[in-house]
Amino acid sequence: MSIRLGTSDIAKYPFLREASEYVRQTGFGFEEFDRPEMQYIVDRAARRIEQEIVTGQVFDEFDERTEILTFLISLMIVKSLGMEPILRKYSLFESMRAEKFLVRDLEQLKSKNEKRQLLLFKIFEELFKVKVDIDTTDSRLFKVRVVDYLLRASHFHEQEWKLVNRLVHGGYVYLDADETVRLIRVELSALIYDRVKEMSIPSVPDAIKSRTENLKEKLRPYFEYRTYKVSDYPPCVKHAIEVMNRGENLPHSARVMLATYMLAIEKPVDEIIALFQNAPDYNERITRYQVQHLAGEKGSRTRYSVPSCDKLRNENLCFATAECSGIINPVQFGRRARNNDNAGR
Amino acid sequence: MTMQADNNTPAGRTKTPGTTAIAVQSVFRKYYFTQAARIEVPDRIEEREFGYMRFGDSFPAAGGAMVRHLAFRSVGELVASLIRDPPADVFCSNAYYRFPANEMREKEWRGADLIFDIDGKDFDLPCVPSHSYLVCRECGFSDLQENLHGPQAGLSFVCPSCKASRPNITSLPCTKCIDASKNEAIRLVSLLSGDFGIELDRIKVYFSGNNGFHLHVSDDSFNQLDSQARSDIVGYLTGNGLMPESIGVRKAGDRGFAIRFPRGGISYGWRARVAKKLKIDASSEKKLEHIVSQKGGYAGFRTELERIAREEGLVIDPQVTTDTHRVFRMPGTLNSKSGLAKVRCGNIGSFDPFTEACLLEDQEIITTAKADVKVRLRGKTFRLEVKERSILLPAYAAVYLACKGLAELEISS
Ligand code: SF4
Ligand SMILES: [Zn+2]
Ligand SMILES: [Zn+2]
Repeated sequence: MSIRLGTSDIAKYPFLREASEYVRQTGFGFEEFDRPEMQYIVDRAARRIEQEIVTGQVFDEFDERTEILTFLISLMIVKSLGMEPILRKYSLFESMRAEKFLVRDLEQLKSKNEKRQLLLFKIFEELFKVKVDIDTTDSRLFKVRVVDYLLRASHFHEQEWKLVNRLVHGGYVYLDADETVRLIRVELSALIYDRVKEMSIPSVPDAIKSRTENLKEKLRPYFEYRTYKVSDYPPCVKHAIEVMNRGENLPHSARVMLATYMLAIEKPVDEIIALFQNAPDYNERITRYQVQHLAGEKGSRTRYSVPSCDKLRNENLCFATAECSGIINPVQFGRRARNNDNAGR
Repeated sequence: MTMQADNNTPAGRTKTPGTTAIAVQSVFRKYYFTQAARIEVPDRIEEREFGYMRFGDSFPAAGGAMVRHLAFRSVGELVASLIRDPPADVFCSNAYYRFPANEMREKEWRGADLIFDIDGKDFDLPCVPSHSYLVCRECGFSDLQENLHGPQAGLSFVCPSCKASRPNITSLPCTKCIDASKNEAIRLVSLLSGDFGIELDRIKVYFSGNNGFHLHVSDDSFNQLDSQARSDIVGYLTGNGLMPESIGVRKAGDRGFAIRFPRGGISYGWRARVAKKLKIDASSEKKLEHIVSQKGGYAGFRTELERIAREEGLVIDPQVTTDTHRVFRMPGTLNSKSGLAKVRCGNIGSFDPFTEACLLEDQEIITTAKADVKVRLRGKTFRLEVKERSILLPAYAAVYLACKGLAELEISS
């Protein structure tokens, strides 16, 4: 991507490749993180992660001078924490943070062909392959091609995102700034996730290493003994459990969903088997075998993943509620739902 | 040899099985032999899956076996196979696969044309009972639905001849039926181009070969859409799920509502269609408020909106469009429900399926009517009566009636 960015743009969108390029050009070396005056930035990065993971609030401080380094260091910390759930959660929050900037920037576009507009539209086009345009008669209205819209919004659950409830004309769907940005939320968080995944750190500077250790201790309780209350389960899973508890028959596909979901949240096999004991055709031995099979301990040795919301919807196993918004697999349910609430969006 | 007059009795079943099937098949063979050029080669033919419906012995009462997962590298290869053993129906996937001949899980989907199916029987037209026949599946007895049930098509059927209770229903669509689906096709084209911005030359309209129209959209950007996205398109076209909010009416308080027109205005798409129905424009927030209260508030207005959506929405088969792994009737091939061909419509407005899709030869075939029936094909009217025994009909008419289950054919030599 070749966009000429000002520092403030890079600071807002530090996940752009230009950001690391910018740092490289300033001749900044990793050793420098060990210098005492850097401690402030390292602390800030750690605080950013801690706040997002623990309190579930988007970190909304903005300091143009230190933003890029803070972001880079936070990536490094997340990378060396090496915990998948933290990485996912962090990616989501960073994307929500960037979303806010994107919306604000879009809303501030006054006239066409402004430099900022080119930048924003390029972000959409080159990073997310969505061509965005401003409506000629109303600059607060953006338009994206019908196909680009469908590729994303058809996976949202809310009725208002259904094409029939949109203004569609001449091959375009018309959206306001908020909606335009919402369209790429999943991809934005995937982008940040990938940035962390693909990052290679030859050696982590000591200052960061010690801060990481410290953070690891703090965060451990949030990820190790995570217990799920029934209210945490997505509606599809809840429904399946209810049917089971009533002693009614549950279709095979729903059983697979239930078992794979429970395996995914690392519920012990014995507890999963117990869930099925009310089934009319319950047989402890067979159920155990089946669950172990899904877990990849028996038979093909591949661990089965939880079916996607799409698939479940097709099989009429989906009972989506508003909290299902924006997720494509039931395992994402708890995380997103809580995040959204706390972020006050 | 002429047909036995007792073909209305169960004993009729013991006649040489399948003579009608064999006769129809041989007319189909000649079509594929002499008019192969009419078969439209799909683009990327080597990535398509093909399927056949075989002729069953008791054609057309029961379908034969369905064969899928076929692949051809060229149209020549396909035509050769159609001539060797002509199937009753020929289908081609709307999808492109890396390995079209593999079983479904191993095909590797690469995209699919966007397709639509408009079926005349979905319009519930009042004319239908007057040209629909019930054909007994056991003995082949047939008569007009009207005669058997009166104009109100009932549900129960007892065959006057053999007392069996399982009829097939067969319909000889009239021009009203054709016009209804034609209209729908025209509306569909205008939505696809006007709202979705699809270029007209990417939208191909076909007569389905029986009682409806098919649309194929070959636009690279649309062919990547998954079935969820296609279902969203169907929702848009049918008006299913239209919310009051989309034209600016929202719930407020317990029983109240509030109105503010959406930012994009109400002059395009569904908003425009609804506005026109309600006779409002961008300056009529007050008037809309009045309408909503008249309908009893938010909930009442929603019901009204659903009604408008049903009225204004298109009648298309949602399953066909949402299925990205379907095999769909291939353009230029024959439809065994009628012997007519699925053909591209040049000018849909003036298209006449009973001449333009009636492409079989006119060599005569000995035909025995199973019901009193009148049909008009290629500008000629054919009248048949059961008591008349066998007569000679040109193949295109004989096959049409045979495919409808209303006549039996002799094998021509
Ligand atoms: S959206 Fe997904 S998580 Fe929510 S109910 Fe449907 S299938 Fe379950
Ligand atoms: Zn009978
Ligand atoms: Zn009719």
